[in-house]
Amino acid sequence: MADKNMVTIEIDGNSVSVEKDTTILEAAQSIDIYIPALCNNELVEPYAACRLCIVEVDDGRKTKLVTSCNYPVRRPISVYTSSEKVLRNRKITLEMMLSRWPNVQVIKDLAKNAGVEKARYQHPAVDLNSNACILCGLCMRVCEQGIWENIINFTNRGAERNVRMPYDSDQPHCVGCGACAEICPTGAITMADDPNQPFDAEMIRKAGMRITEEMIRYDEEQCDMRGVGTAHLVEIMDAYDLLPVMNYRYGKHEETPKISSDVFRKHFTSGKPDGCWLGCTMACAKAIENFELKTGPYKGERVLVDGPEYETLGGSSNMGIFDPYFVAEYNFYCDTYGLDTISFSTGTSFIMECYEAGVLDKEKTGGLELPFGAKDAALELLHQIGRGEGFGLVAGKGIRYMKKYFVENFGADPGFVFDIGMEAKGMEYSEYVTKESLAQQGGYGIALKGAQHDEAWLIFMDMVNKQIPTFEDKAEALHYFPMWRTWFGLCGLCKLPWNDIEPADNAETDEPAKVPGHVQGYCEFFEGVTGKPQTMDSLVRMSEKVYNFQRVFNLKMGFGRREHDAIPYRSAGPVTVEEYESRQERYDTQLKEDAGIDPTGMSSEEKVALTRKHREAQYEHLLNAVYKRRGWTNDGVPTVAKLMELGVDFPDVIELVKKHGG
Amino acid sequence: MIVVNGIALDWHEGKTVRDVIREMNYLFPLLIARINGKFIPRNKYDSTEIPDEATVDIIHLMSGG
Repeated sequence: MADKNMVTIEIDGNSVSVEKDTTILEAAQSIDIYIPALCNNELVEPYAACRLCIVEVDDGRKTKLVTSCNYPVRRPISVYTSSEKVLRNRKITLEMMLSRWPNVQVIKDLAKNAGVEKARYQHPAVDLNSNACILCGLCMRVCEQGIWENIINFTNRGAERNVRMPYDSDQPHCVGCGACAEICPTGAITMADDPNQPFDAEMIRKAGMRITEEMIRYDEEQCDMRGVGTAHLVEIMDAYDLLPVMNYRYGKHEETPKISSDVFRKHFTSGKPDGCWLGCTMACAKAIENFELKTGPYKGERVLVDGPEYETLGGSSNMGIFDPYFVAEYNFYCDTYGLDTISFSTGTSFIMECYEAGVLDKEKTGGLELPFGAKDAALELLHQIGRGEGFGLVAGKGIRYMKKYFVENFGADPGFVFDIGMEAKGMEYSEYVTKESLAQQGGYGIALKGAQHDEAWLIFMDMVNKQIPTFEDKAEALHYFPMWRTWFGLCGLCKLPWNDIEPADNAETDEPAKVPGHVQGYCEFFEGVTGKPQTMDSLVRMSEKVYNFQRVFNLKMGFGRREHDAIPYRSAGPVTVEEYESRQERYDTQLKEDAGIDPTGMSSEEKVALTRKHREAQYEHLLNAVYKRRGWTNDGVPTVAKLMELGVDFPDVIELVKKHGG
Repeated sequence: MIVVNGIALDWHEGKTVRDVIREMNYLFPLLIARINGKFIPRNKYDSTEIPDEATVDIIHLMSGG
């Protein structure tokens, strides 16, 4: 049966089948038939300004001249790209262009190809500049459609028409991305060099423009960062059982769709990118406009909420709260009080589990009822933290403090609160469930700053792809990625354009997880600024020096040894019977296949204990492998030899690590 | 039977890469598919049929901070 969405047409006698609404120009290009087109570019919608792409169309009843760039194919037609009528009209158009812009190379070339050597007309506004603006409109269209800005536009009419910023003044909203200059076919737009005198501004712009072009072409079908930002991860993490639910006990929830990115796309965000950094075309920061607050000191006022990002949403599911209005409210007040949404939500998730387990009650919390899902009480707790009063005084000090406080003041079982209090080195976990990825447990536990995934996000690589099965494989990933990702911090760059947009050929590279095309771009950024050529290895080497130095700093401050890389058991496996039984099939299979223990006939309590024994041993093996790969002692201390190799063997550094066996 | 990322899946005649992605509920957009080591471009997921006994890798890249 014929596909209703396909249409077969003839172009210069050649038959071609294309999807309905394909333009004639696209259809011709698909079979390598050349049609000249000056104002057309794949990055923007067709505009039909230059009229060079005219073709003659015969629909069986009549023939007509149409511009092929914006003529959609909807039924069988015959197209003639070089009929006498077409050639005559195209020549006239080119003569008029040549009369106005006689020295612009692209016009001269097109005219020559069409057999026009000299214009017969004299244009009243002739422009002899070889870089003259030819009014094709590509610049303003890429600004509007590609970058989602409207910085430049046509002004005046007739022969006075030109392209300008409004009122001929510099526009503060111009992100300086350079897309208009890059797309301009004549060089009419040039970028002013940066006042901070980079070594090679052009090299930097070219590397940046490749990312911009990828954003325009692929973002919508890839991560949709400009549409919804990192919120797109909510539904994805839920699908892979990785979205933290109820203090990381579970990885998905039936109510997740209530806080998915689609909800925020429809109801909250303004549909415009709200980038956090001038010049960034990923522009993934999102805002909720005109949001009416229901609680706190600004109750009743309408405000702009800066967010939510994925972590804020994952923090909400972690508290068992699936209400987009709550998310906006806690996002706003965390920002207003200067609190991190991750620390607040992970801390409150811990409190909620303690409340449900009987460690806390209304009396101990000063009247707050705080089981999972208690959104009003969670907001009141947030305000108490902001005001520095009541139970907020305890909660605001973080999980590490609370664990000790609950044991000393409320008689909590230390084993339980230490198992479920999700922090490492005193910092609260960010919002991913790590139980099924040993490498990611290491990513959180070994991270220098505490339990954060930004040194290494290896869950897919480890758990889903099964690309790093051995301890050595995981250790290699826990060497490369933390070093690479540290490099962004060294240079003050954001990581997201590295791995939230992908070059077209990335899949065909040797190591797609590293996104080699983008690493090359960062080498060019660095060289463009400093004049020093770089490779992937040299960038990583820069980080390795700093990373090891930071580890020594941690050591000096009392956080740099093996014991400080310990993780709460909830990060590695199921703490409670209920948790085990919720994924019993998975855990039973893993006991059998990974630990070599047949769980048949065992109680859930026995299986929880055996799973724990196995997983805790695995984590210790992982630490051994990572320390070895990094050139550290088995206690996690950089060795003297490693520090000498890296050139950070300062006398006081050597003295310190020697004291700790380095 | 085929093996997808180390997991055994039933096979039927005409099963495509897209079918496997749906069956595994792989919602993540940045995927790289290989059938017996051979790379399959994203625009061929609907039309590429997987042979019986094949080893299929659906590599997930990374995203987020």
